[in-house]
Amino acid sequence: MIKQMRRYEGWFGVAAGLCIVSGLYFGLVGSPADYYQGEVVRIMYVHVPLAYTAMLAYGALFSCSLWYLWKRDLIVDNMCQAAAGIGAFFTAVALITGSIWAKPTWNTWWAWDARLVSFAILLLILIGYLMLRTFTEEKERAARYAAVLAIVGGIDLPIIKFSVEWWRTLHQPLSISTRGLSIAKPMGIPLVFMIVGFSFLFFYMLAVRTQMLYLTHLLEAKKGRLLGEVHL
Amino acid sequence: MTWFHVRWGGVLLAGLAIVFLGMRHYQRELRAISPLQLREEAPSGTIRVRGLVLPGTLFPGPGPNEARFELEGDGSKISVHYKGGDPENLRELKTLVVIGRWDPGSKLFEAREIGVVPNFGFVTAAYLAGIVPVGLFLFWMEHRVAFLYREIRDQKVYEPGGDEG
Repeated sequence: MIKQMRRYEGWFGVAAGLCIVSGLYFGLVGSPADYYQGEVVRIMYVHVPLAYTAMLAYGALFSCSLWYLWKRDLIVDNMCQAAAGIGAFFTAVALITGSIWAKPTWNTWWAWDARLVSFAILLLILIGYLMLRTFTEEKERAARYAAVLAIVGGIDLPIIKFSVEWWRTLHQPLSISTRGLSIAKPMGIPLVFMIVGFSFLFFYMLAVRTQMLYLTHLLEAKKGRLLGEVHL
Repeated sequence: MTWFHVRWGGVLLAGLAIVFLGMRHYQRELRAISPLQLREEAPSGTIRVRGLVLPGTLFPGPGPNEARFELEGDGSKISVHYKGGDPENLRELKTLVVIGRWDPGSKLFEAREIGVVPNFGFVTAAYLAGIVPVGLFLFWMEHRVAFLYREIRDQKVYEPGGDEG
């Protein structure tokens, strides 16, 4: 699996680069300013893909955790850990960019809004996941407990997604849903480019980070720390 | 020099090119000047001027969606004639951006669009906070992977071509 990741990761990287550069061009140059928000609306083209990728990462963590509990494969566990690390990173960055967008539009850096709070809870779940893995001595037990935590924490995903419909919130409603795009086409096109680009970027980062974790295990095994756990 | 360095050198160059083009686009298309700069420089073409609509100077007409007012900024003021879409944002004592052409002969600014004051500081901050950390995070991971492969190869634990994991 590591060999296949090394073989195909480059394509994901190239696709991500092309989509993101195109999205940046269409978003910063080709799309109009918003009637009410003005130029600040351009923050959407970076904030929404970051938030979307954070949820994609949690979706990957959720799926890989189920897969790990079924197969108990070391590389799948490495993928879980990789997805959690990347997910925590994207969640934190999405919260920061969202806060920067909130200041000129809502006149506040933070609001106790359903979407914002449920998204912050996602970050806490991911930090908890990473802490559980770090502080549990036995690696196999840590992987098992963390997988269960990730599956239970998955309940936060639909809450984040539908929070803007279930509760009255400051946050704008869904821009892209099964009902289609609810924003103007010149704004929707760069948004789709950026979301697709960040999705490719996530899979590229997942491949790189999974290799990083696997090789770290392998090196530790070589040094005799985990000799019984890694299949050399 | 390895493939890793070449690749990241390319990414860095592409990033610098995007920053350069973005700054040029801002200077040419988006930067708003003050009425004082407009009087001193008298630039041609489409210009964006930022200023405060002076109280008592805003008069609608003569046609529909037309207005005349004076815009002040940096201690200087200019007369503006607006003709375009519904000027919903136009109020006295409001700071806004007018987009149009300057006629140095009649000393009148012919505006065809009125926009809210752009907050490019927030936009720049969001893009820097959103994209630079992602790049650094990816660079660190790739650097670590390259180091680990080298380390493992040196210790003869793993042959990248033959391992299936």
